[in-house]
Amino acid sequence: MNPPIDEDIVREALRTVQDPEAGMNIVDLGLVYGISAGPDGVAVRMTMTSAACPVAEMMVDEAREVLKRSLPVGTPVEVELVWDPPWTPDRMSGLAREHFGWAPR
Amino acid sequence: VGTEVKTAAETAAPPARTLQRGPAAAGAAAASPGPAWRRVPLLVLGFAALVAGTGAGLARLAWPMPAPVAGAAAWHGPLMICGFFGVVISLERAVAIGRRWAYAGPLLAGLGGVAALQSGAAAAPWLHLGAGAMLLAASLHVLGRQREAFHVVIALGAASWVAGTALWALGAAVHEVVGAWLAFLVLTIAGERLELSRFMPPARGARRLFNAIIAAVVVATAATLLLARPVSPVPPPEATWAASVAVRGLGAALVALAAWLLANDLARRTVRQAGLTRFVAVCLLSGYGWLAVGGAVMAVDGLAPGGAGYDAALHALLLGFVFAMVFGHAPIIFPAVLRLKLPYHGVFYAPLALLHASLALRLAGDALRAAEPASAAAFGLVRAGALASALALAAFVLVMASAAWRGRRRVHAARALETG
Repeated sequence: MNPPIDEDIVREALRTVQDPEAGMNIVDLGLVYGISAGPDGVAVRMTMTSAACPVAEMMVDEAREVLKRSLPVGTPVEVELVWDPPWTPDRMSGLAREHFGWAPR
Repeated sequence: VGTEVKTAAETAAPPARTLQRGPAAAGAAAASPGPAWRRVPLLVLGFAALVAGTGAGLARLAWPMPAPVAGAAAWHGPLMICGFFGVVISLERAVAIGRRWAYAGPLLAGLGGVAALQSGAAAAPWLHLGAGAMLLAASLHVLGRQREAFHVVIALGAASWVAGTALWALGAAVHEVVGAWLAFLVLTIAGERLELSRFMPPARGARRLFNAIIAAVVVATAATLLLARPVSPVPPPEATWAASVAVRGLGAALVALAAWLLANDLARRTVRQAGLTRFVAVCLLSGYGWLAVGGAVMAVDGLAPGGAGYDAALHALLLGFVFAMVFGHAPIIFPAVLRLKLPYHGVFYAPLALLHASLALRLAGDALRAAEPASAAAFGLVRAGALASALALAAFVLVMASAAWRGRRRVHAARALETG
């Protein structure tokens, strides 16, 4: 029997995926919309800031790769790219907002 | 952000069809010969135009070149702008939207570059026009997916390429449409930078100022095209004067855009970071410096074809600004387009430094030529600067190729570890 996969482990793993231009990880940038972990595996919904950005497909693959490496061998992983709802700066974490010079909320 | 947690009650159930499983998939994205390799021929066409276009530019400055390249001397500008930038920008847009039809853009732009080098050169403008139309369609597709002001700016860039290339195909000279081609590249980059500036808190009035600058770029560009030959068949002195005013206005708008970007771009913040993020920021900020210089020369000189100001403005804008963007973004975009890893290395700065130094040399020569038109020293400086710029481009390609080699070795090493 496999132990349940902790959502926090998934989130921490995704924190290693960086947006190279922003120099910040996708979790703090607010690009990860949802994580669901269960007996069927892990499913992640994420977005990008721009639909004109050719890097989207690669970031999704990178997230998938990182999860495969951090989760128990054989854990099914699904990462889905979504455009709705659109990303806004409000989705950034406190850490990211501080990093980019926003006033504290 | 709502997340959902399900507890695992039993051993992992058979995965749904959409789920990939097992470590075999790990690392595959970086090296799988999937659809990414089908993009290679398109990039080869773009890089062929870059090599031929660079050689054609050197041939113009009396550097000895092989006959086919020397014969394309008149095609230097179209090869660089439509043949190279046209391919890479259309390709990145096609990759972004992931639609098969959008790949017709880079294909047509690449074929236009090939046509320019062959006897069928008359077809080149029409092929580039087709490429522009496809890029515009892909940009409108993006706008439909995400209704944001920055996508409007990017679509206006594609529209500028279409408009300028249409007039060129109808018989206008390159120097008459070069303003529109500049607007194509500038608006494409400006739209992308506006998008990324959203990570930072907007400065008061910055958005409104940005919109006003973009409106000025669009109006000035439209004016340069309306005053081009096929539209104004008999150019009376007033039209020539008006065309010069339009070009100067475009130059002034570019200076304003450079100032806006230097004040509001994300690079101002990311330049304090390290590694690739800092390198990208240095490329951007240094490029904005050349955008200001090129715009200022355009505003003062008015782009008299063949003059020292024309050479200085176009090369400051295209080599100093646009190529600095290419240098900064290639290590991000190429991995996405080709599924290669291009790990950062400090040597990335070497071609960038050579690019800026070579351009400074060239502009010094242009300044001297403006003062003393017959100066042999001035021509020597421009000539030496041009060769050094070509070497900077070659060095950049070599540095990227060596990074790809290091990235490949890293993937192999990681895989050896995984498979034990």
